Amino acid sequence: MEVALTNHPEDKKRLLAALNGFAQANQLPAVVVRAADLALEEHLANVMNYAYDDPRPHQIRVRLAVEQGHLLIEVEDDGKPFNPLQASEVDTSVPLEQKPIGGLGIHLMRRFMDELHYRREGNRNVLGMRKRLDPPAT
Amino acid sequence: MITGDSHELLLAGRIDGEGANQLEEEILQAMRSGARQIYVNLKEATFLCSAGLRVLLQYWRQMKNSQRLLQATRPSPEVDAVLATSGFREMLVEKI
Repeated sequence: MEVALTNHPEDKKRLLAALNGFAQANQLPAVVVRAADLALEEHLANVMNYAYDDPRPHQIRVRLAVEQGHLLIEVEDDGKPFNPLQASEVDTSVPLEQKPIGGLGIHLMRRFMDELHYRREGNRNVLGMRKRLDPPAT
Repeated sequence: MITGDSHELLLAGRIDGEGANQLEEEILQAMRSGARQIYVNLKEATFLCSAGLRVLLQYWRQMKNSQRLLQATRPSPEVDAVLATSGFREMLVEKI
């Protein structure tokens, strides 16, 4: 399924409703839905905060699919070229006093989803994510 | 809830980008009214993301730098997973 949002934070509610509906229709495990919810929140926050230099509304498309035992998500925006995966790894073993403020969002996306990939298509950023539907218990 | 210098904040629902702003407001209010300990009770939080973590970290540091305390308490397993993955469990206090 595909959901079109604007880059307004209020629109995230619609996405969450769509994700929950998709999850129910496809009987996705709760742990997978929570991971997708978190990864989408993190990525959309980045897009909404950093991808645009103008005050006009922009469209963001989110595609959800189930394929070969995986949940696939794609988020497409027409903002500035931005590859969130270029951020360097965060060392989360560092104590709170020294912990860097930045990079936590990407770190959470990487840890809660199994695969992330980015491509630039014309004037659009496309961020893809995959998660196994039967994740091993941690 | 306030007992002496100790303030407990109960955050319900999603601590997403907007929820993090709300969390920050409540922490600031507690600080302005002279709290020496702030406990962010997460038992009714259904979601926590990096925006919330950044607020917690920023004010944990600020409180610590003035010899005060900010801690998180009672996360659900889902919220605890986010705290653990980010290396934030140091901020948790077991009881309360």
